[in-house]
Amino acid sequence: MPEERRDWSLRVRDLVKTFKEVRANDGITLRVEPGEVYGLLGPNGAGKSTLVKQVIGLLAPDSGTITLGPYDLVADPDAARQLCSYLPQAQMPIASFRARQAIDITGMIRGGDRDTVTRRRDELIEALDIGEWRDTLGAKLSGGVRRLVGFAMVTACPGRVMVLDEPTNDVDPLRRRLLWQEVRRLGDAGVAVLLVTHNVMEAERAVDRLAVIDRGRLLAEGTPSSLKAEDRGRLRLQVMLGPRVETPALPPFVQLHTRVGHNLMTVVAEAEAAHAIRWAQELMGLGLAEEYALGATTLEDVYIRLTGDVEAAGREAG
Amino acid sequence: MTTLAAPPASALRSGVVYWWHSYRMMLRWEMVSLRMVLVITVIVQILTGAGFVLALGLFFGTVPPRAALFVSTGVLVITLITIGLVLGPQLVAMQKAEKTYDFLWSLPVPRTTAALAWVTTNLILGLPGMAVALGVALLRYDLDLHLSWAVIPAVLLTLFTGTMVGYALAHALGNPMLVAAITQMLIFVIIGFSPINFPADQLPGWLATLHRWLPLAPMADIVRAGLTEGVVEGVARSYLVLGTWAVASVGISAAVLGRRG
Ligand SMILES: Nc1ncnc2c1ncn2[C@@H]1O[C@H](COP(=O)(O)OP(=O)(O)OP(=O)(O)O)[C@@H](O)[C@H]1O
Ligand SMILES: [Mg+2]
Repeated sequence: MPEERRDWSLRVRDLVKTFKEVRANDGITLRVEPGEVYGLLGPNGAGKSTLVKQVIGLLAPDSGTITLGPYDLVADPDAARQLCSYLPQAQMPIASFRARQAIDITGMIRGGDRDTVTRRRDELIEALDIGEWRDTLGAKLSGGVRRLVGFAMVTACPGRVMVLDEPTNDVDPLRRRLLWQEVRRLGDAGVAVLLVTHNVMEAERAVDRLAVIDRGRLLAEGTPSSLKAEDRGRLRLQVMLGPRVETPALPPFVQLHTRVGHNLMTVVAEAEAAHAIRWAQELMGLGLAEEYALGATTLEDVYIRLTGDVEAAGREAG
Repeated sequence: MTTLAAPPASALRSGVVYWWHSYRMMLRWEMVSLRMVLVITVIVQILTGAGFVLALGLFFGTVPPRAALFVSTGVLVITLITIGLVLGPQLVAMQKAEKTYDFLWSLPVPRTTAALAWVTTNLILGLPGMAVALGVALLRYDLDLHLSWAVIPAVLLTLFTGTMVGYALAHALGNPMLVAAITQMLIFVIIGFSPINFPADQLPGWLATLHRWLPLAPMADIVRAGLTEGVVEGVARSYLVLGTWAVASVGISAAVLGRRG
C-alpha cells in the first residue's frame, strides 16, 4: 500500500488497566487522526497518564487494543517507542546536560540526522523563546524552562504520534502560548498529538477534539463547541464574595453553582440575565460581594458539570 | 519553519546501522549524564585501589610476598566491579524515585544498546583505577608478575558480569531502600568476606564452599591467573562459573526489562 494512503490513525479500543483494586482505565475507546490535536482532560487520578503510558509501551493493558496504522502497539512495544515520542509528566533527567545538547542527543536518539536535528533545535529554541538558556546546564534551569527544553527534546524528531503529558506545567503564560503554537504546528505536519492537560481554557483553543476522563472512564468526547452545545442558551455568572462571607441564599434561576474560596460560580439561563445582574448588584449593595462578571459559558463549565471537579475553577480564580 | 514540512517517518528502523547508532548515542547519553560524578568517581576508584595496596603495607610492616600478590591483584577486581555492582543499582533506584526512569525507557533504542552502553561506561570508569592500583602495587612491592594475554578476557568478563549482575538487580528491584541495603551489604561482602584479597582457605569452610558458586572468587581467580604464574589453579572452572553468571544476569535483565507493569 502506498505510504500516503495508509490509515495512520491511533486507535485505542476497550482499554482496561488495573493496579490492584484501582481500575485506572476502565474500558476506554478513542481514536486520533494524523494531524489532529486530541486533548485528554480529567481530574487528578482520572487515569490519563496510565492511558498514555500504554500507548508508548511502558505499561501493558489488562485487556483491549492499541493500534497505530498497521502496528499493534501492545504486542510490539519496540514499534510503539519508535513511532511515538513521549514527554512524561515528570521532569526530564537532564541535570548535567546543556539545554542545546539534551535536545540534540534526544533528537538523534529518535533517529534524526545531525543536520536536521540541529536546524530543528535552533527553530524550537527560537520559537519557544528559550535562547537565553541554550548553553545552560539542566540543573540550573528553572522548572518552566526545563519543561520547555523537555518539549524541544521530544519534538526535535517527532514520531507519528506525539504524547504530551501536561506539557505546559510550570510554564509562564507567554511561553505557554508559544508552546501551544508549536503543538499546533506538529498537528499541521501530520503528527497525531495526544495531549494531557489540566488547563481547560487553553485546551479549548489548542485542541481539535478532546475527551473528558474520570475514574478511568471516558465521560464525553467531541470538539470544544460540540461539548458546549448543551450549555447553549446559558450564561455563567461569577460572583466574588467578600472575605468570610457565607454563600448567600441562591435565587431559583440559578441552575448550577460551585464555590471555590471567595469565588461563587453560577450558571443561569440567558433569559434570566437581567435578573442575574440585579441579584449580583444587590449582593454588592449589601457588602456581601466585591465584584461580579457575566459571560458566555466556557469549556470549563462543561468540564465542571461532567466531573464535578471544582479545582479547575479554583485555578482560574487563583 | 521548514524542518517539520515532511511527514514523520513511518518505517521502523532495524539492523546493524540502527543498532550501532543507538549504541553510540546511548553511550553519549550515559557519559553526559555522569559528567558531574565522572571525575569524582574515577578519583575515588583510584584512591580506593591505591589505598588498599598501601594500607596492606601499613598493616603488616613487612608484607609477606604472597599476601602482597593477592591483595595487589584482588584489588583490581574490586575497582572493576564496584561501579557496576554498587553505583549502578543506586543510580537506577534514583531514576525510579525521581520518576525519570519512564523517559529513559521510552527512548526508541534496542535494549541491548542501553545495557552495553552502561557496560562500556563502567569500563571507562573502571580502567584508570585498575591501572593506577597495579602501578602502585608494582612500585611498592617487589611483585612476581607474569602478564599474559589472558588478562584481557579475564578483565572483560569480570567487568561484564559484575555490571550485568548489578543491572539485573537494579531493574528487578522496585524499592530504593532495599537497593540501598543490598548494595551496602555487597560492598561488605566483596571487601571483607570473599576470597578476592586473600586465598579461599582463610575463610570458614562453608563460606569457602559457597564462594565456589558465587561469581566473586572466580573473578579474582581469572584476573589473577592473567597476571601471575603458578598461583591459581582450576581457571577453566572459574571461567565456566563466571560465564554462567554472565548468561544468567543477561537473561534476568532481559526478562525484567521485557516485563511491563
Ligand atoms: N504504578 C502504579 N501503581 C499503582 N497505582 C497506580 C500506578 N500508576 C497509577 N496508579 C493509580 O491509577 C490511577 C490513575 O493514575 P494516573 O496517574 O493515570 O492519573 P492521572 O489522570 O494522570 O492524574 P494526574 O492528573 O494527577 O496526573 C490513580 O488512582 C493512581 O493512584
Ligand atoms: Mg498524570
